[in-house]
Amino acid sequence: MIKRVEINYRGIFQKNLGKKIGSDIVIIASGMGRIGFSNGRYSDSPERNGIPCKYFAFVSHDLSEEELEAECGAKLDIDQCDISVVLDDTMIKGVEPWGWHGVRPINEKVQPGGTLLVVTKKSQDELLQFIAKKPYSWKLATYSGDLSFGGLWVFRDDLTHEKTLGAVAGIDPDIIGIEAVEKYLNHKNPKEPARAEAARQACDEVRKSVRTVKPGEGVEWKHEIPVLPKWFQFMEGAAVPAVKRHFELGPKGQSRNETFKRGTTKNQRPVVRFDLCTKCTLCWLECPDQCFDQTSDGLYDIAFEYCTGCNKCAQACPVNECIVMVDELQFTDDSSPWEAYKANPQKYTEWAEEKKRKGRYIHPMVTGTGLEFVEGELVPFGGKRAGQKT
Amino acid sequence: MIAEEPKIKNVYEREDLLTGCQAVSQAVRLADVDVIAAYPIRPYTEVMDALSKIIADGELDAEYIIADSEHSQFEIVKHASSVNARAFAGSSGTGWCYGFEALVVTATDRLPVLFLVGNRALDDPGAFGVEHNDAMAVRDMGWLLAWVTTPQEALEHVLIGYRVAEDKRVRMPMALAMDGAFLTHSQHMVKIPTREAVRQFLPPYDLGDGRLHPDNPISIAPQVNEDWVMELRRQNWDAARRARGVIKEAYGEFNAVFGERYSTPFFTEFMTDDADTVLIGLGTVCAPGRTACRRLREKGEKVGFVSLRWFRPFPTIELRESLKRFKAVGVIDRDFAHGSPDDSGILMHEVRSALYPLKNRPAITNIITGLGGRDVSIDDCIRMYEIAQKSKTDDKLDNFVTWIGVRE
Repeated sequence: MIKRVEINYRGIFQKNLGKKIGSDIVIIASGMGRIGFSNGRYSDSPERNGIPCKYFAFVSHDLSEEELEAECGAKLDIDQCDISVVLDDTMIKGVEPWGWHGVRPINEKVQPGGTLLVVTKKSQDELLQFIAKKPYSWKLATYSGDLSFGGLWVFRDDLTHEKTLGAVAGIDPDIIGIEAVEKYLNHKNPKEPARAEAARQACDEVRKSVRTVKPGEGVEWKHEIPVLPKWFQFMEGAAVPAVKRHFELGPKGQSRNETFKRGTTKNQRPVVRFDLCTKCTLCWLECPDQCFDQTSDGLYDIAFEYCTGCNKCAQACPVNECIVMVDELQFTDDSSPWEAYKANPQKYTEWAEEKKRKGRYIHPMVTGTGLEFVEGELVPFGGKRAGQKT
Repeated sequence: MIAEEPKIKNVYEREDLLTGCQAVSQAVRLADVDVIAAYPIRPYTEVMDALSKIIADGELDAEYIIADSEHSQFEIVKHASSVNARAFAGSSGTGWCYGFEALVVTATDRLPVLFLVGNRALDDPGAFGVEHNDAMAVRDMGWLLAWVTTPQEALEHVLIGYRVAEDKRVRMPMALAMDGAFLTHSQHMVKIPTREAVRQFLPPYDLGDGRLHPDNPISIAPQVNEDWVMELRRQNWDAARRARGVIKEAYGEFNAVFGERYSTPFFTEFMTDDADTVLIGLGTVCAPGRTACRRLREKGEKVGFVSLRWFRPFPTIELRESLKRFKAVGVIDRDFAHGSPDDSGILMHEVRSALYPLKNRPAITNIITGLGGRDVSIDDCIRMYEIAQKSKTDDKLDNFVTWIGVRE
């Protein structure tokens, strides 16, 4: 019997958190007399900021370490898993860790009867608007929490590490048991009972939250998986053809790399108030991923498939309320915002303000207390300039 | 295997979850290494991180020097070793090759530095996955070279490596190779020996009259001409030959201190007793190889697996005696030797050469696989067994090398 746990995390920011969870699953299982080992998907490295990455833990009750290693070790990725942990809920929109990989469903490796475990404050129905359907039934479990930066020592520890251990125990005691989790955490942190308590709380929470997702429930997956070339199809000498240069005004006017879009890196996206734009070009100039397409009227459209949510455009924009970063789960597609604006400026602006109202937050890395949704200055449609940008 | 009673009661101080690199760093601590030179290149880099932490935590008193390149890094440890400091360094892939001049002279100067090679594909194209060509580059230079397959073995082979390398009958540098990513970065529970047990097994480093010191005036590595070189090569040749006996002794002593950890020093046989077909390989490929073997055994196939550990010195006699019992041998190469005889891999040449003096040689076939960190699955290994079994009756040269795992 082999139990496989996959931990999906945001590159760099959650690297230590992902590894700590994988390690502790093995140490706790080992303390229960089970065999385990843990590794990461090395090809994710060098991890770029925010890129979807994976860490794994494998546990068995009956196999020798060598047999477990033979089945699960020395591999790039796993074929299937019992539990897939998602440490940032925006990854449910798909994950594309590197070029030629394609945007894959977050539940790709969840086996029949397996569980997708998401740290989120969204409802499960909201999550299922984004997750791919499968031909068999699987389970969705959630526990309350935000995109955690707890693994980085400069940021506040929000106990996501402990909660995840508790949640894994809540879903499948054959991996680790909740009593063993509590014992381990109390032993490691004798003066901090809150850690074991957080694990127990998350354990209870997932046991209540877990639901079966029926075959066919979820969305039709629209992203194609690229087919890698065969050895005789490559150019000789480790050379690859570049993206052919092309430029024209308008949405998607510049040629871009079709085999590596990187849009799944983002957990926020810029929302633009075109009616406030002064055409200063700074967003277009500052964007490190060249996501901005110049249009015939001097405005700049955004190719969201390529946007990594880095926030540079919003920081560079000198106009208050013109570019604002908004929670990625507020959006169901990557369509052109400029086209929507041109079709109906008033309606687009109302839509943009609605998104900003629901999804603008101060990042938890600043407060350490979780996502804090905030409201900005409501600027009416049309020529009136907003106040000074702060 | 009968477990001997260890000489010391507490041979292990604790058990911890460690990657291959972290296990090596623990062994470097236990070996009380004096000088460490470091220069980053993944996957080796993690051992450098782990060692700097061990030193910062006050667990090891050693000089830790960050070099400006691998060439300087390897020169530093070579010089340190010549003044009787136990020295450690390591690298991966093209970084290892960048320091090649220093690697060659460390061997000709007979300085027993231990290096970790976290195997990595040689550029280009840039890749981080495992391939064995990097470590194998020193195979003809007077080096000791061994592969390990678990973090526990990695820890133990740092200790065994120093003991063999520093033995005055040997005095050769040691390259401890392990598969990049798959072993360097995989976390397993590892038993960490006590200092007392390690001291029992590993004597202090003593260069004797070869120590460079004002009290012992000698000059190492002078410029010489045609009059000298061949005699010195003859010494290297002899040392490499003597090393086999010293390795056997070291495993005997290791088992005496730590209990029966290793039944054979150079390679480990798996399910070979009545086998007619075996695969032989280096590194982590042994895990899926052995599992494939077990599955085929369940179906009644007479197959076995040989995990080769020591590549230099090559265990010629032992391996010849072992492999002559079988009808077919499939050699797995996670490396390449383009344009070499039959265009096969490096390990194949070594094994075939060792088997040549036999009158009744087993059929031999070559599999090139897992290059650049490509997965080698259990099913891939089952296919390798099928190919090796087929070679018993079909030994046409066209079928001699099979690439498994390449997209075609």
